[in-house]
Amino acid sequence: MKQSSVDAVIRGLKRAGVSIVCYLPDSLFKELYPALDADPDIRTIQVTNEGEGAAICGGVFLSGKRAALVMENSGLRASVEPLARMGLGAGIPVFMLLSYRGDMGENNWWAVPHGITMEPVLQALRIPYAVEREEDRIEQAIVDAYELAYSSYYHTAVALSGSIVR
Amino acid sequence: MKRFDCMTKLAARLSDELVILSLGASVDEWYNAAPHMRQASLFQQQLGCVTPQAFGLAAGLPDRQIVSLDTDGGLLFNLGILATLGNEQPKNLFVVVWDNEQYQSIGGPKTHTASGRVDLAGIARASGVDHAYTATTLEEFDAHCEAGLKSDTPYVVVAKVSGTVQPEIKRKHSDGREDKYIFVRHVEKTEGITIMGPSEHN
Repeated sequence: MKQSSVDAVIRGLKRAGVSIVCYLPDSLFKELYPALDADPDIRTIQVTNEGEGAAICGGVFLSGKRAALVMENSGLRASVEPLARMGLGAGIPVFMLLSYRGDMGENNWWAVPHGITMEPVLQALRIPYAVEREEDRIEQAIVDAYELAYSSYYHTAVALSGSIVR
Repeated sequence: MKRFDCMTKLAARLSDELVILSLGASVDEWYNAAPHMRQASLFQQQLGCVTPQAFGLAAGLPDRQIVSLDTDGGLLFNLGILATLGNEQPKNLFVVVWDNEQYQSIGGPKTHTASGRVDLAGIARASGVDHAYTATTLEEFDAHCEAGLKSDTPYVVVAKVSGTVQPEIKRKHSDGREDKYIFVRHVEKTEGITIMGPSEHN
């Protein structure tokens, strides 16, 4: 990621009121994680799997603070059970920022399943999402997704792809 | 050692704490053992989510004492949270693990702790949670509650309890959604904050 894209993500998270970010590091967002760690207004919590991160974000929601779960889109599959239980069973929302592995331009065979499954999994869970491929869309997409998560009390997601992550 | 008796001991020590608890018969036992904590307690349905969610709450409300009532089956589902707690060292999280060595809510098939070889408190200590203990008597459990609620580092007590359920407890009639609203409104009132506010009418 370019520094300008990293900055756009952080601007979007701050405008959305996010003060806690849970993440499991991945390669496409490589530059984002240390920037989040270094930001004095954001507490980062590195987790052992993305489902754990989703549950922590759910707990943060209950505290009145705002959290984001940042991960590769493969992490969505690891999060499905807690997302389904919290979202559909209790109305506890989690906002997710995903790096879009397996999109057009993918050059790793192991990442192909991530592209094949991401949108169908989001759709199966009825999670509204946006796929952004242009840097100038990042900030507003995060703000808009967060807004919807708090009016629906349901999860939303933004996946970043294209020139943003390559 | 009976879980309900442990709950009664813990409940007597709680007033303005917030509690996240696991699914199964322990939910109704808790609401009966700690009726004064009803609005301050939220049960979660998913194995592996209870302590992570309690930790999220603790991270968001660093000046409030948070209690996680987890289970052997639930903790085994995501042992990674112990490593996360070991690294993050929350100052306000007390974790109780009801270890009855079984998946009680589905009829009692054994969990991995039933073999006697798996030591959840030992796993916690090896994950960086220095204060992690096993309690086998009510007196030990109560002493750990006293220490754990005052501790400024994460504190885990694994309570070895029998697989019995307290007879004639009242069952709650609310679902996960109603429970969430009850809990959120309680947090809003006691913290003086808004979590689920009005829409904007624009």
